[in-house]
Amino acid sequence: MRVSLNWLREYVDFDLSPEELAERLAMTGTAVESIEHLGCAFEKVVVGRIKGIKPHPNANNLVLCRVDVGERELQIVCGAKNMKRWDRVPVALVGAVLPGGFEIKKTTIRGEVSEGMMCSEMELGIGEDASGLLILDKDSGVGEDVGKVLGLEDTVLELEITPNRPDCLGMIGVAREVAAITGGKLRIPRVRFKEESRPASSLAKVKIADPDLGPRYVARMITDVSVGPSPLWMQRRLIVGGMRPINNIVDATNYVMLETGQPLHAFDYEKLREGKVIVRRARRGETLLTLDGVLRQLDESMLVIADAREPIALAGVMGGADSEVSSGTRMVLLESANFNPVSVTRTSRKLGLLSEASSRFEKGVDPNGVIYAADRATQLMARIAGGKVLRGAIDVYPKPVPPKTMGLRPRLVNHVLGTDLSLKRIAQILESLELKVSKPVARDSKLEVTIPTFRPDLEREIDLVEEVARIYGFDRIESTLPESGEKRGGLSPDQRIRQRIKDFLVGIGLREVITYSFIDARHFDKLALPEESPLRRVVQLQNPLSEEQSIMRTTLIAGLLHVLQHNINRGQRNLHVLEVGRVFHPVPSRPLPDEPTMVAGALTGAWHDDQWYGRAKSVDFYDVKGIIVALLRDLGIRDWFSTRAVHPIFHPGRCAEVFVNGEVVGIFGEIHPDVQAAYGLPERVAIFELEEAKLVSQSDLSRHFGEIPKYPGVILDVALVVDEKIPNEVLEKAIRTWGGKLLKEVRLFDLYHGKQIPEGKRGLAYSLVYWAEDRTLTDEEVKKIQDRIIAKLRQQLGAEIRA
Amino acid sequence: MKSPSSFDEGDFDFCGNNIRVSHLGVEMSLRSEIAKLRKEVRGELKKVSSLEELDTLWVRVLGRKGKLTSLTRELGRLSSTERPTVGKMVNELRQAFETSFAEKRRELERELRERKLEKETLDITLPGKLPQLGGKHLITQIIEEVIRIFIGLGYQVAEGPEVELDYYNFEALNTPPDHPARSLQDTFYIRRKGERPMAEDVLLRTHTSPVQVRVMEKTKPPIYIIAPGRAYRHDVPDPTHSPMFHQIEGLAVDRNITFGDLKGTLEVFAREMFGGERKVRLRPHFFPFTEPSAEVDVSCIICDGKGCRVCKYSGWLEILGAGMVDPNVLENVGYDTEEITGFAFGMGVERIAMLKYGVSDIRLFFENDVRFLKQF
Repeated sequence: MRVSLNWLREYVDFDLSPEELAERLAMTGTAVESIEHLGCAFEKVVVGRIKGIKPHPNANNLVLCRVDVGERELQIVCGAKNMKRWDRVPVALVGAVLPGGFEIKKTTIRGEVSEGMMCSEMELGIGEDASGLLILDKDSGVGEDVGKVLGLEDTVLELEITPNRPDCLGMIGVAREVAAITGGKLRIPRVRFKEESRPASSLAKVKIADPDLGPRYVARMITDVSVGPSPLWMQRRLIVGGMRPINNIVDATNYVMLETGQPLHAFDYEKLREGKVIVRRARRGETLLTLDGVLRQLDESMLVIADAREPIALAGVMGGADSEVSSGTRMVLLESANFNPVSVTRTSRKLGLLSEASSRFEKGVDPNGVIYAADRATQLMARIAGGKVLRGAIDVYPKPVPPKTMGLRPRLVNHVLGTDLSLKRIAQILESLELKVSKPVARDSKLEVTIPTFRPDLEREIDLVEEVARIYGFDRIESTLPESGEKRGGLSPDQRIRQRIKDFLVGIGLREVITYSFIDARHFDKLALPEESPLRRVVQLQNPLSEEQSIMRTTLIAGLLHVLQHNINRGQRNLHVLEVGRVFHPVPSRPLPDEPTMVAGALTGAWHDDQWYGRAKSVDFYDVKGIIVALLRDLGIRDWFSTRAVHPIFHPGRCAEVFVNGEVVGIFGEIHPDVQAAYGLPERVAIFELEEAKLVSQSDLSRHFGEIPKYPGVILDVALVVDEKIPNEVLEKAIRTWGGKLLKEVRLFDLYHGKQIPEGKRGLAYSLVYWAEDRTLTDEEVKKIQDRIIAKLRQQLGAEIRA
Repeated sequence: MKSPSSFDEGDFDFCGNNIRVSHLGVEMSLRSEIAKLRKEVRGELKKVSSLEELDTLWVRVLGRKGKLTSLTRELGRLSSTERPTVGKMVNELRQAFETSFAEKRRELERELRERKLEKETLDITLPGKLPQLGGKHLITQIIEEVIRIFIGLGYQVAEGPEVELDYYNFEALNTPPDHPARSLQDTFYIRRKGERPMAEDVLLRTHTSPVQVRVMEKTKPPIYIIAPGRAYRHDVPDPTHSPMFHQIEGLAVDRNITFGDLKGTLEVFAREMFGGERKVRLRPHFFPFTEPSAEVDVSCIICDGKGCRVCKYSGWLEILGAGMVDPNVLENVGYDTEEITGFAFGMGVERIAMLKYGVSDIRLFFENDVRFLKQF
């Protein structure tokens, strides 16, 4: 809502600068989005009265004018044609600088002196009309500053009106608010006009067929109007208010809408068949050519204004082109009505048609304000379009809405706000908002408050508490903290583990990213997922912004690969990213999907850039495996294993699943070269994705002290050459089994292929650590065990032992 | 410098006039041999510059075939009266030699180590061996910071689904069916199979407020929770809008919770989050699920309230929305609104991050350019 302060001052006096007023409005609930100072773009431009016009002796298309500018008379050479004697026009005096930097000088044009310039709208920079001089209103004072006369110096506050305050979508509503917060007095314009003896009802008939959608309809008849431009002051206010002047009749309806918040519509009466106005639902197949020139298809859900035959306006949204007021209009039927907000909202959404009227009706308009608005517009039309007003307003209002009355307990006010306001103070605040408050009987009794219908937001006791709070001032309410002794803050045990998982992964070098929860379905093709893959069963958006963000992700991998691609395209090489976030799996029998949180990472390139102390090695399968093992260890998960797995996203030979206590918690490995290529990734990519809840439930952060070995241990190495098909896991397990209780640790420290190793075999070297809790082991004792292990490896796994 | 047992000290004893001159030639010659050797060794020891040379000299003087050893053998030729005196002189000389050799050895070893350490001097300006650095996303950091502050105020952390029922997102929060916030323009809806009634409509939550209702349905007051999480709105991305963003919801429901408590709580939060000098103001506003409702500003963290481009010269930055929980919301979960009151607040995490760190475009948070992520 754009509020001109010049205009506002017509309804309320306030002694505040625009900035101070904006501050007070903001602190009482009306946010001010901007303060716009409409300066006057020129000086030394005054009202001049043309006293005489005669032809220029040396030029056919120029004239000489004698112009009274107050203190003196000037001769001005002029090329315009639209002025006549006694017209008042803007005169730029010698020394004036017009918008665009054009300076006025005393000149001689074809031998005649010209002491200034008479101006058009365009030349003053206040409008688009350059066809002739701007003709000022007859009551403009000669010699006065044109900027002042036109109200050009003004300040406009752009107010953000919250949806609960439709009353502030009109100047009077804003003025009422300003009066309440400043203590100023509200002045509502008095409406008076002469009525003809002939009643309006002799010409027009109004019927409401659907009172649920159209609760009230008021019509007035104005005849003998002469349609033309409206006065400049009105045009100016419409422009400042964000509307386009059209003609005096339409401008009067819009002016009153800006003033009262009540949308109005003027019909050309003579276009209405049988002079009938029927408020009804549209019939299937009906159409209407609206004022914006679009032919609208209507249906039964839409409320229309119809004449005897067909729709002539979309109720509360937009009028029809056929019944539009035009220059030839002589009789006007003025509509001031109330329509159901939901119905207007639906109609305007369905047609994609938003208007100043619909946006007001959507929020709710006072059904008891229609008469005032109708009369106010009638008064203006009579004044500026020379119309005659037929007697009476036709008012169809089947179920009048009375003002509500409700009780307010002062105790509740203070209970909710933490204040100690007196009953008297509370009553005073409510009265400043034009609510009627009954005189309280006793100190603790309820106040009876009558709510005018222009405040539909005040429905309950708590709404009145808010009114008291905001006018009293939030800043005056004392700050306290809740007193409850029962609260205990902190993370739950599960939340602490989840925090630990993220802390750990970030601590070992992963960089957390956050990607969109909605992804492009085409990711599934890039990930080479077959049609039947469960990852393709998705939650789909009904109204996505785009195809790229149309389904809810079922895996974090797509987003992470996209992040790698994005960064590599921007010149990055070594990337190690982590995301912890939810994925979404539809559940057939339930409305809401499953939303497990996944922990996923993706690595590509090397851990480091090449350094002066060493070249970097590219990451691979074992880097992610190491991360997972370290994470499991940190979470105290001992009972886990991984097995080879096959998954379309992954390299067929470089993929594994992690099991904890026999349950799959996730998958890791290198992605398939095809997937890598689909995302345009130049190097190998190793990824993992684990289910957070399973990690949390299997984690064990309890720790128990164990004795530190008192006796020295013995470390012996063994180097084996075995068939390369035998996995390390089998060898390690065998060593452990045969090593018995004294073998405490087995660590692979070398793995080799190459010249010394026969084809189809590989060499593995292990470091074996022996110790006992109760004594120092002897060399013979350890040698015996080591020999037994070696013998078994030879016999059972065909291992060859290297020294 | 020299120790008292060194042979230089004895110099005086051997050369001085008070030494009795023997009449025997052997004795004379031995005495002069001793003096000569002492002088000779002293000179040679001075010239020694390495441990190897020192060892060689040792062998030559003190070794089995060394000069002092052979001198000792000569003692046999002396008479029994002369032998103790001269023998003592020889022993003293041996001790003096041993001391001097040991001292020389220490000196040489010290020099050797010094030279070695000097050779090991590094270019300390070469880059260090950095461990790989990871890091949390700025949004996570802000969320954790807010959680930390509210845990200190006695709050717990709650969560709820991101794909949510219309009931929890709107209806239970006193947002009537035709409220503008429910229009297709603002909310992402989930595609339905078949026809279901509106109340069962499924959507992406437009705020974290539904968590309030879910917690209150399951728990009796007192409740002090915050609920961080993702939220979604049907906004075309631009520098200040993103279809996905993060919110942190707060809820305190108890007996006698007042608007003053809300103010006090937010003031503590703002000062912890933005610095002790911050001023806080609450402006009345409208939210369907709170009454009274407020928008909350802090004095501008850039200009300290003096007015700058970031605060649009107002001196204030809006950081969150808040209010007293609307009685309708409390009634929807079956609370007695005569007894129980509460306040709620919600803040946009991206907005706080943008204000606090001067991030210019909300889309940067989800582009995940590591050059952006590494800055925090």
